[in-house]
Amino acid sequence: MLRMAEALRRALNLGSSAESEEYTTEAGPPLLLLGGPGSGKTALLFTAALEAAGEGRGPVLFLTRRPLQSLPRGRGAALDPLRLQKIRFQYPPSTHELLQLLCSAHEARGPAPSLLLLDGLEEYLVGDWGPQEVAYLAALLLDTAAHFSHQIGPGQGCGLIVALQIQEQGDSGDALQLSLLQRYFPAQCWLQVDAQGPGQHCLRACLDPGGQGPRAEWWVAFRPDGEMTVTPWPAQAGNPSSDKGSSSEGQP
Amino acid sequence: MAVALPGVTLPSVVEELLSEMAAAVQENAQIPDEHLLSLKFIFGSSAVQALDLVDRQSITLISSPSGRRVYQVLGSSRRTYTCLASCHYCSCPAFAFSVLRKNDSLLCKHLLAVYLSQVTRTCRQLQVSDKQLTDILFTKKKQEA
Repeated sequence: MLRMAEALRRALNLGSSAESEEYTTEAGPPLLLLGGPGSGKTALLFTAALEAAGEGRGPVLFLTRRPLQSLPRGRGAALDPLRLQKIRFQYPPSTHELLQLLCSAHEARGPAPSLLLLDGLEEYLVGDWGPQEVAYLAALLLDTAAHFSHQIGPGQGCGLIVALQIQEQGDSGDALQLSLLQRYFPAQCWLQVDAQGPGQHCLRACLDPGGQGPRAEWWVAFRPDGEMTVTPWPAQAGNPSSDKGSSSEGQP
Repeated sequence: MAVALPGVTLPSVVEELLSEMAAAVQENAQIPDEHLLSLKFIFGSSAVQALDLVDRQSITLISSPSGRRVYQVLGSSRRTYTCLASCHYCSCPAFAFSVLRKNDSLLCKHLLAVYLSQVTRTCRQLQVSDKQLTDILFTKKKQEA
């Protein structure tokens, strides 16, 4: 049984031919999506939102501080207006308002979301936040998703994916913050820019499902027109950065 | 990254102990001595303090019509701390210091008291409105920030 943040996994699997896999409606553990600036976090979150919106379940709640600049390209069927309508964007402008939104999530009427997404967590962790404040925000995100799961009922659940921008070499403050967040988000997906991949702008996505299954890796490539393609990272044991001359296929 | 996950789940040995205790309590209406010793072994002095909080009925499960729930624990210093029901979080300073910052404890005594009160089914219950539950979750934050 695949339990891992299924929405994201399915989003990543879209590039592969095997789309007919059985999927579970279980939400899996909360997932932290980590990457540097411009590593495709928002595009992946949005893809996960579209996937979840196409499942005939509840709406998707997408929290971000600023509206998306553009919709990811090239997914004609996925960008169907009925799916887009099921994605509810909310833009809490400050940490205070994000906390208020999470604390009052149970007051909202209507069907409970089947997926809760937060983009740009780092924008809400500004200022002199101590460990307890960071932990409280993380715990409230989990608590909100748990409440939605409770509303949805047994057998299903509300997934949670949070994107956090990390620096290539974080200072000690970032490291403490990250380790606190990792307490609450057992599953993590790391995005790294990869020059060898097949595409103009290529990233490597490495998914560690937090002890609930094997790690998996993908290439995520963005073409100049913005279209995103995802292909499974070639299965290779040992050092993934070994150069095998595979970069030629990605040359323009 | 093979990190332990105390933030989300308890180590299985603690889970097992708690479920054994729950079964024993259902049968005999009390916690057997050997379980108390195991508790003391794992949690040290926090175990005694947590049991004391349970004895004093210091744990309240607050719920609203929405179904959302949160625990409040009245600490020995007469301060009230909020513990989330869905994952490990307590608003007390010991949780911030020993669990989050120093990473040398699994739990604070308040969270342990919450788990023990679930086992012994001795927590008080309080129904509030959805709005009041929001205030409990949110004002907690404002006080601390």
